[in-house]
Amino acid sequence: MNGPAPNVVVVEDEKQIRRFVRSALETEGCRVFEAETGKQGLVEAGTRKPDLIILDLGLPDLDGVEFIRDLRGWSSVPVLILSARSTENDKIVALDAGADDYLTKPFGVGELLARVRAILRRQGKGDEAGPEVSFGDIQVDLSRRVVMRGGEPVHLTQIEYRLLCLLIANPGKVLTHRHLLREVWGPSFIESNHYLRIYVGRLRQKLEVDPAQPRHFLTETGVGYRFQSLNSN
Amino acid sequence: MNTRWFAPSAGTSASKKGYAWALIFCAIITVAAMPLIGHLDLANIVMLFLLGVLLIGVKFGRGPAVLAAFSSVALFDFFFVPPQLSFTVNDAQYLVTFAVMLAVALITGHLTAGLRQQADAASLKERRTHAMYEMARDLAGALTIEQTAEIVRRFLFDALSLDVALLLPDEEGELRPVAKLQDDFQIDHRLALLAFDQGEPVEDFTLSGYGYGAGYFPLNAPMRVRGVIVFVPNSQNPQAIKEQKTLLATISSLVGIAIERLHYVDVAQATQVQIVSERLRSSILSALSHDLRTPLTALVGLADSLALAKPPLEATALETAEAIHEQALRLSGLVGNLLDMARLHAGSVTLRKEWQLLEEVVGASIQLLGRSLANHRIRVALSRDMPLVEFDAVLVERVLCNLLENAAKYSPPGSEIEIAGEMKEGFAEVSVCDHGPGFPLDKQDAMFEMFVRGAVESATPGVGLGLAICRAIVEAHGGTIAAVNRPEGGACVMFTLPSGTPPTVDEEANV
Repeated sequence: MNGPAPNVVVVEDEKQIRRFVRSALETEGCRVFEAETGKQGLVEAGTRKPDLIILDLGLPDLDGVEFIRDLRGWSSVPVLILSARSTENDKIVALDAGADDYLTKPFGVGELLARVRAILRRQGKGDEAGPEVSFGDIQVDLSRRVVMRGGEPVHLTQIEYRLLCLLIANPGKVLTHRHLLREVWGPSFIESNHYLRIYVGRLRQKLEVDPAQPRHFLTETGVGYRFQSLNSN
Repeated sequence: MNTRWFAPSAGTSASKKGYAWALIFCAIITVAAMPLIGHLDLANIVMLFLLGVLLIGVKFGRGPAVLAAFSSVALFDFFFVPPQLSFTVNDAQYLVTFAVMLAVALITGHLTAGLRQQADAASLKERRTHAMYEMARDLAGALTIEQTAEIVRRFLFDALSLDVALLLPDEEGELRPVAKLQDDFQIDHRLALLAFDQGEPVEDFTLSGYGYGAGYFPLNAPMRVRGVIVFVPNSQNPQAIKEQKTLLATISSLVGIAIERLHYVDVAQATQVQIVSERLRSSILSALSHDLRTPLTALVGLADSLALAKPPLEATALETAEAIHEQALRLSGLVGNLLDMARLHAGSVTLRKEWQLLEEVVGASIQLLGRSLANHRIRVALSRDMPLVEFDAVLVERVLCNLLENAAKYSPPGSEIEIAGEMKEGFAEVSVCDHGPGFPLDKQDAMFEMFVRGAVESATPGVGLGLAICRAIVEAHGGTIAAVNRPEGGACVMFTLPSGTPPTVDEEANV
């Protein structure tokens, strides 16, 4: 990581988890501020100007989703959620409320750092993704609206192209079903999950080597989809 | 509720008294009018007698009024019409007086008695309505079937001299009396069943225990027949059932409604209890899940962070850290399985079904297992034209993960694991097959029971929950799961999901 050390606020009530998260982040060169409760976390988020907040969804004093809604009122700092596996719905609600990504407990240091790096990298790059994006054997020229696969043009329908653009604009980020449906099809399609399933399937058919074992358009079961370019990892 | 409102209006003793009073009254008028002879015209004395008949009619009804009419004419003739103290009449025109007097007396008596009867009938009706209302109110307030039975019993005994028994169906549909019956209370179960099945009253004209016919009335309620009420008349009012059939039918349906209400109170309470206990169970489970996962998360993370220690640890220490990491993850998997099983068994799992592609969930499972499948080749063979299938992706992913994990665990490294899927007769069938030793022949069905493992003591870790969870999930979806050994060797688990009718997708205009 170049530039100033990123500030990370860790909001987690379990001391041992805070401890290893801190040590992992510090090896990445982050400055870590710990908060034991949601309220304290909001104070830290307000005073430390963090580049990332790592938030446990099961806080004793404040619902994680309330935390995010409160935070999103005055800050757009990325939020990485830590949650137990049995609560897909909580994850969706948190992601829809404005969280950026999630990690399922238990998780290893490797997974944690991969997610943190991806978020910080996105943060650093901002929105300027450049007119050309490439992953695997696919090149997407956003200015000319052309998709090439191994040098051959690939024909995408308008909706497929819109879906592709939305996904590659958020590399590494989980996009919930609702979010994708709203952005690509419009608000009246929010409950029409099967459209999304069909179109993601078609994108995979056209752009993945093995559509049944995708490497770029990943499924976050019960939650949404994540695009992964793999090129820069 | 002690008077018998429904008993015939005048008893024999009461009418005897009325006739006696009619005679006494006429005598009093005669005695009172005697001194007035000479002062009053005989026509006015006739008026006095007519007044007497009127009063008797008002007070005692038709019979005494008729008696009073005749005795008035006789007394008038005997004591007042000359020659006095004789029934002979000097002036023939008195015969007209007698005739008119008798006619007027009879008509007055008849009319007043009729008025009185109507008044009586009205007040009887009013009291009956009131009594019914009171019973209905008591029934509405009854909290148990026993209370209902007691209210009805008391009301019918007081009002109609009827003995009563409530018969309600038990779990097996057998009609059983609510309260213990008196020894001499005979019930014909065949007739009760007949009334219950047909929903029509059945009367028993053969001799019942009391020597009078019993009536079996169905308890008709809006939803269904709730039971049978048996009315048994006793010696005080043997004809009650015949006379009061409509009333008894009304009472029966009142009781039926009261019992149905109690039934739904029970249902609502049971539902409430179920909701509360389910909520409790699921909150216990999620607390347990949180409490178990938190230390496991710390364990996994802390083991990992040893590798980041500076200065670096020795290689053996790092290996230990790696082993701790692996074991903690395995423990976490077991905890996950146990909690899932508990959740599935507690019935607190609601399926979040959505129309989706099997291909996607297969891909997600392979991705999720990642490293544990690294030693095997995975081949996915889903037919290209698989339609959308409706299922809970998270749970079906769990099924696939368990099956893939098993396949990887029990088949030699480097061998192939095959996932296949196709549509078959309204079901989507998915199979996961390996090239391992296969299932023990005698255990292919038992494998899906909880805590059953292929090999009782083996070096391969596991507690035998994986397949049980798979079965619970697949069955919750309305599918089936089965294990077979392939003829060419290797184990195969197949499960099905009902395919249903997928929603249509509007195709966009091709650009």
